[in-house]
Amino acid sequence: MINQNIITCCLVVFFLTSSHISTAVELKAHGIVDIRASSTNSLDEGYLVGGQGKFGSNDGQQLSIAQAGVELSAQWENGFSAHGVLNAYLAGLENDEDRAAGITEAYIKYKGLPNASGYRIQIKGGIFYPEISLENNAYAWASKNTLNSSTLNTWLGEEIRVLGSEFKVTRLGRMNNDAFDLSLSATAFINNDPAGALIAWHGWTMSSRQTLWGEAREFPWFPALADGAPLAKQADKSEPFLEIDDNAGYHVRAEWSLHGKGELSAGYYDNKAIPYQEIDGQYGWRTRFYHLGARWRISKSLSLTAQYLSGSTLMQSPLKEDMVNNDYSSGFVSLTYQWQGFFGSEKSGNKKHKSTLRLEDFSVTDNDNTWGDNNNEDGQALTLNHSYRLSKHWFLSAEFNYIDSHRPARYYTYKPADLVEKQLQLAARYFF
Amino acid sequence: MNNKVITLFFLLLSVLITPESSSAASCNSESMNNTCVQIFVNGKTGQALANMVVYLEPLDGQILTRSSKEVVVAQLGKSFTPYLSVSQVNSKVSFVNQDDITHHIYSVDSNNKFSFRIRAGQTNASETFGHVADVAMGCNIHDWMSGYLLIVNTPYFGKTDTQGQVSFNIAQQGKYNVVIWHPQLKNDNNRLSKTASIIANSTFTFTLKNEITTPTTQENEDDFDFLSDY
Repeated sequence: MINQNIITCCLVVFFLTSSHISTAVELKAHGIVDIRASSTNSLDEGYLVGGQGKFGSNDGQQLSIAQAGVELSAQWENGFSAHGVLNAYLAGLENDEDRAAGITEAYIKYKGLPNASGYRIQIKGGIFYPEISLENNAYAWASKNTLNSSTLNTWLGEEIRVLGSEFKVTRLGRMNNDAFDLSLSATAFINNDPAGALIAWHGWTMSSRQTLWGEAREFPWFPALADGAPLAKQADKSEPFLEIDDNAGYHVRAEWSLHGKGELSAGYYDNKAIPYQEIDGQYGWRTRFYHLGARWRISKSLSLTAQYLSGSTLMQSPLKEDMVNNDYSSGFVSLTYQWQGFFGSEKSGNKKHKSTLRLEDFSVTDNDNTWGDNNNEDGQALTLNHSYRLSKHWFLSAEFNYIDSHRPARYYTYKPADLVEKQLQLAARYFF
Repeated sequence: MNNKVITLFFLLLSVLITPESSSAASCNSESMNNTCVQIFVNGKTGQALANMVVYLEPLDGQILTRSSKEVVVAQLGKSFTPYLSVSQVNSKVSFVNQDDITHHIYSVDSNNKFSFRIRAGQTNASETFGHVADVAMGCNIHDWMSGYLLIVNTPYFGKTDTQGQVSFNIAQQGKYNVVIWHPQLKNDNNRLSKTASIIANSTFTFTLKNEITTPTTQENEDDFDFLSDY
């Protein structure tokens, strides 16, 4: 929390002073307010409050501010810019389900101009998301076409965030008579050592909630946490953004994009955490995964987005015995159809109606023999979204999510291993 | 019935005479002392090519009045509008951002290197172009944006219309280099040229040997209005 206050102070001071340093600076504030009504058919408690439900909200009806996010930036002529992203959530007024506000990203970026051969360098330093999600590219990491992100990206929003520096080289095809651009990026980072705990202990989930920097997250109870059991030392909440062992991790990514058509990307993340180190009940989890992404415009009105992520996580006792050793994967394919031109624009992203269908498959495979901690999971999900652009800034959305999952760990809290959960949401989203 | 026939007749007549009369009109609008030159640009299979840049370079030391055209390179709908602009050396070129977002316009051409951020609604006329050049422009925020500014040392420049035709009023007859330019033209320096003595009512037709590669549309595959530019 102190950490977060310092960052907030720095950001405020930075924005107040930056406008005086140079007249060439441009200050911008963009964001989203997402007001949502949801009806959830799930377990009593959703995963955000430490339950076994896969949605962010508990069983029943709920009115919430599903996201109030703002992206502040200061951008200079010379290619330097500073960015701060703040997010706030307000749900479940009656029983204090989820109320939080804080920083999700804060970084400084330098984006050079391309040279005559079309090569451009970009350097970024601070707190940020490794570039993986193809859904959460609207302001403040909001999902563009759906209300709930896919299980893959919900996990990234929950556990994957780094304090690091990213170096990126882009080769622009325009200067080389090629119809495609290529980019390669490499990030060295710290402060993401406990990542993996939540995917192990509540599995894949689906919401639009991002973990704030410094925030601790709950997970369901399981017998291995009991006194004298193998995981008794584990704190009752996990803090994904800690540095436990002073080992730097890395993320590399390559992207090929064909002008006006789409892009293909692949990357690899490894937090290089020492899996048997622990500080105040927070363990290092050696988490590594590869990810693949594709975004393709099939026609002017139909576009496809697909992502796949697969990897492993390992957490050990001080005696280097495996306590949690999991493999996991999640993938989705989504199709978005847009129609009826709006504001005289025939460009696809700004049509009046937008319908999205998303299909997902996810799993966690438990490879260890720890008593009272079965992390196995297998499931599928379906999302249907229709969004209507009411005016330039307002979007009305209706979304239906369906998750069918098998998770034996639910027995620990007397819940069924096989479960079908459904959610219907109505949202008014204001982008500015 | 009669009326219809008459209407049809006039329609036919207008269709037949339109191309001729329009080009003649553009030439006649200037002083009677001028010489009209018409240039046609056709593709490999003979089809008329629109938006091909054509310019005439004087070769006999003709003294020509400077072009009074002020070129406006607009940024509209996250694209350079028009895609191709032409200007005479040292003429005023204005960059006008008609979008409601900031652009960062640049050129990496060695003789005409420039870069500036231009906010919504702003105009930048501070760049000067003192050399003959093909200036390829981009936007460092929106990589798919691509536009060209051709700087020529003659007041006689223009772009072909949908009939593949452009005409000029030449004040002084004599030898000229007639040049066709397009950034996607598969020729040396993206040009086709022909030296010619221009006399009254000269007409030149250029037929490309290679098909011109269609320029990539200045369109992003994802053009939602509220994307975070990471």
